Amino acid sequence: MRIAGTSFTDSMVSQLNLLSARQYQLQNQATTGQSITAPEDNPAGMAQALNLQAEDSAVTQYAQNISTLQTRATISGNAMISLQTIEERAGEIATAADGTITPAELQADANQITQLIKQAAQLMNSKDGSQYIFGGTNSGQSPFTVSTDADGNVTAVGYQGNTSLAQSEIAENTTLAVDVPGANDTGSGARGLVSDSRYGADLFNHLISLQNNLLSGNTSAITSTDAPNLSKDDDNIIWQVANNGATQTRLQAAAAFASTRQSGLQQSLSNVAGADLAQTLTHLNQAQSAYQIALQTSSQIMQLQQSVLNSLP
Amino acid sequence: MLGLFNTLNLGARALTAQQLGVEVTGQNLANANNPAYARQRVQLQTSTPTPTGIGMEGTGVEAVSIQQVRDQLLDGQIRSESSVGGYWNSQQNTLENAQTQLGEFLNLSSSGASSTSSSATTQGLSGQLNNLFSAFQGVATSPTDPTARQSLVNAAQSLASGFNQASQNLSMLSSQLNTSVSNDVSSANQLLSNIATLNGQIAKATASGGNANDLMDSREQDLENLAQLANIQTAANSNGTVSVSIGGQQLVSGSALSDTLATYDPGNGQLQVQTATSATPLTLSGGSIQGAIDARDGTLATLRSNLDTMASTLITQVNGIYQNGYDLNGGHGANFFTGADAATIGVNPALQNDPSQVQAAGVANAAGDNTVALQLAQLGQQSQAALNNQTFSGAYALDVADFGNALSNANDQVNNYNSVNTMLLNHRDSVSGVSLEEETTNLITFQKAYEASAKIISTVNEMLSTVINMKS
Repeated sequence: MRIAGTSFTDSMVSQLNLLSARQYQLQNQATTGQSITAPEDNPAGMAQALNLQAEDSAVTQYAQNISTLQTRATISGNAMISLQTIEERAGEIATAADGTITPAELQADANQITQLIKQAAQLMNSKDGSQYIFGGTNSGQSPFTVSTDADGNVTAVGYQGNTSLAQSEIAENTTLAVDVPGANDTGSGARGLVSDSRYGADLFNHLISLQNNLLSGNTSAITSTDAPNLSKDDDNIIWQVANNGATQTRLQAAAAFASTRQSGLQQSLSNVAGADLAQTLTHLNQAQSAYQIALQTSSQIMQLQQSVLNSLP
Repeated sequence: MLGLFNTLNLGARALTAQQLGVEVTGQNLANANNPAYARQRVQLQTSTPTPTGIGMEGTGVEAVSIQQVRDQLLDGQIRSESSVGGYWNSQQNTLENAQTQLGEFLNLSSSGASSTSSSATTQGLSGQLNNLFSAFQGVATSPTDPTARQSLVNAAQSLASGFNQASQNLSMLSSQLNTSVSNDVSSANQLLSNIATLNGQIAKATASGGNANDLMDSREQDLENLAQLANIQTAANSNGTVSVSIGGQQLVSGSALSDTLATYDPGNGQLQVQTATSATPLTLSGGSIQGAIDARDGTLATLRSNLDTMASTLITQVNGIYQNGYDLNGGHGANFFTGADAATIGVNPALQNDPSQVQAAGVANAAGDNTVALQLAQLGQQSQAALNNQTFSGAYALDVADFGNALSNANDQVNNYNSVNTMLLNHRDSVSGVSLEEETTNLITFQKAYEASAKIISTVNEMLSTVINMKS
């Protein structure tokens, strides 16, 4: 085949351009650690990577939701345990209020019950950030209000919340509510923490009754009515504490699952879009060697051409 | 017998022939690096013999023509391939530009090389969509948290801005393609004019018995340049001219420019091509003009349409849920998004100033209710009928893949064209290209022949002197 003068140089330039482009591509992969950067690199892989990234984003958000719920559940659980302590102290006072106790002691116990009521009300108005946690979805205002008489004795504790609970997503199509309504006397729905007609629980009214009976010295009513009622309140709170514990356990499991999923998704993403560095560097080395050889052989051939011209007379 | 004087003439003709050979070789060497040049060679033949008593006797050599070494078939193949190359290069350039404007690039790690990095982010609409639904989740989990509400508004604003920017950039690209089409049409018309002019010059030179090799080289170059712009059909005429047709319409006939190309707007702002005089719409089958048109009206238009569909579906679906919600102040019924498509989507300005107006609750006067926010968060996982029953993220991923396929195909076609074109050019070079070794050897050959011819003259000269000196 006849070779024109420009054929060789055009071919050389074309080959060097191809080798340069290949080196650039491999250098890019080695630097970024990615085999896919743009849609043109691998359209199907890019779509897969975008879908994986979307799933990863969702799971990351679920993990954040779980963390938020865990904080709220912890606050709620701590408040319940403190409430349980208050209730137990009230029960002790009720048990000790028999015919042998003196009026002065009755008065002192009444004062203590008054303080326990106020303390319990304060606990029931606990917040997580800006949200009251025991008011149902009516979380923008304090769920419990305390009314007192001129002597400072508690006359009533009112509930301003509702019985609805907000659900939060902890996984696809899986929601969980960690909040507990402070009171639920509707006969259905989530169990109220201090008051629930289905279970005979009505802590604040029972404590107010105990306070009033202590003030009036009606120890028989304390023994026959107040003490049994407080026992029902105790059972209700114990149930709530156990339920809170189960909720926290579930949240821990969900957090662990989300973490496992995140690891799996990130590995999948690396498999789809990550570059095999060993292979990339090997190919890059080959391309660089080929480029150098092309330059050397081109140079030798051009020198040979010059020699031919110089040899002719 | 020729006689001494006729032998002198023989020598003189030989000198002329060899000198012409040297000149043509010099022309070849001078144009060794001219890619448009086809090597030339002198056609020598014996001059008319003369009858003698002992038969016909040769009278030497004469140069009858200077021929161009060119393969018409190869030239036609290269022109055809130029159209293919022009088309796919135009597509590739356009789609590369569109890919940049879309801004959807994968970044597994922001801190350098890692094939086992722990986080993946995209800079484009995909990441912004994910952020929006994550932000809805944030509000659903903490409906009264002002930080979560502000994050939602910010994420929505980023997404809206992303849609606006992508739409604007792709629209500008479409306008730039109109300009590119106009410019290419102007270039094509200039080349058509050049070809017609060269046809006239070639016809004159040929008619007068001369050669028009260099003019033919220029014309062939113009034909190839024109083929890059549009697929052309040529027909060689007996007088050396070439007729040129585009899209079945003859534009150059001999030395006459019978028509030119022009752009026109069919009513949608997207320029098409027609003949200027007869206003016949043309659908070109190759070349950069049609490549730009097909990229603009095909892949680019599909991408813009898909973005608009996604934006409008998002607006409709989000607002449809959101309007049922209540904000922290009891407000109800407002929209979350404004606008109708990717170019106009925006966030309700009231929310940007006061995130407490985000209508997250499903009932009034229940600040902790998150029913609407939860529904909006779950919208990200729901299939949308308007998006071929894909989720928002899934549909967008498919759109990106479709676009990537188009660009990847254009890349492959350009690579194929480059391979074929290189092969054809090499083949043409082997026929028409100048070989330095060959021409240098020819130079020596003609030089030696010239010297030998000069010897004939000097020898005959001596013989004449001898004859003349016989009478003294």
